Amino acid sequence: MKVEIFYSAGCTQCAGGLENLKTAARQAVDNLEWREINVLEEIDYAVELGVLTLPAIALDGELVFASLPSVRQFRDRLIRQMAKQG
Amino acid sequence: MFTIGKLAAQAGISTDALRYYEREGLIVPSGKTGSGYRLYDEGSIRRIRFIKQAQHCGFTLTEIVELLVVRRRDAACCGDVRSLALEKKLQLESKIRSMKTMSKALDALIESCANESNPVDQCPILSALEQASLPEPVH
Repeated sequence: MKVEIFYSAGCTQCAGGLENLKTAARQAVDNLEWREINVLEEIDYAVELGVLTLPAIALDGELVFASLPSVRQFRDRLIRQMAKQG
Repeated sequence: MFTIGKLAAQAGISTDALRYYEREGLIVPSGKTGSGYRLYDEGSIRRIRFIKQAQHCGFTLTEIVELLVVRRRDAACCGDVRSLALEKKLQLESKIRSMKTMSKALDALIESCANESNPVDQCPILSALEQASLPEPVH
C-alpha cells in the first residue's frame, strides 16, 4: 500500500505527528510504501489529488485525510484500505 | 490622526470598504473626536496596506484575519505563515487547473461549430451543451 504525506517544510504540526503515524503504518501494513512529499516540490501532483490543506494524506493515490488524523483514525483507515484491496 | 474620509483617501479605498473592514475586526479606530467621529492612526494605514497586499495574493478577508491572528500569537513562527501561504497557492493552482479544463471544454465546443451561418436551432455548441457529456477536449 502506498501512503503519501504531503507536508510543508518547517510546519511544526506536520513534524509533530508524523513519526507516530509512520510507526502505526509499519505495524499495520505489510507491504508499505511510505512517501513524505514536500508539497512545493510536487505541487502539480498534490493539486491533481485535490490537496488544499496541509498536512494531507493520500492512500494509493486517493486523498483520504485533509489534516493530520489521530493514530487510531489513521490505523482504522489503513485497515479499511487493506480490506478493500482484499 | 485621520477621520474615516481622510484614511480612505490616504489608503486609496472607499469609506464603505473601511467600515466593512472595521465590522470584520480588521481595523480598529484608535479614538474619537469630541463630536463622536472615529479617528484612526498611522497603524491603520499600514494595516490597510497589509490587507490590500494580501488580497492581491488571493487571500480572502477571513484568511487575512487568520494571518493577523498568527502574527499576534506568541508561539507562532514563520513556518505557520508559510503553511497558510502554501495552502493558498494550492487553492489557486487548483482553480487554475479547473479553469484550464473549462477552457479546453470551450475549445472543443468552438471547434465543433464549423459553419457559422447555420441557423441557431442547428448550433452544435447549444446542442452539445444539452447533451449529458461534452465532447473530449482537444489536446
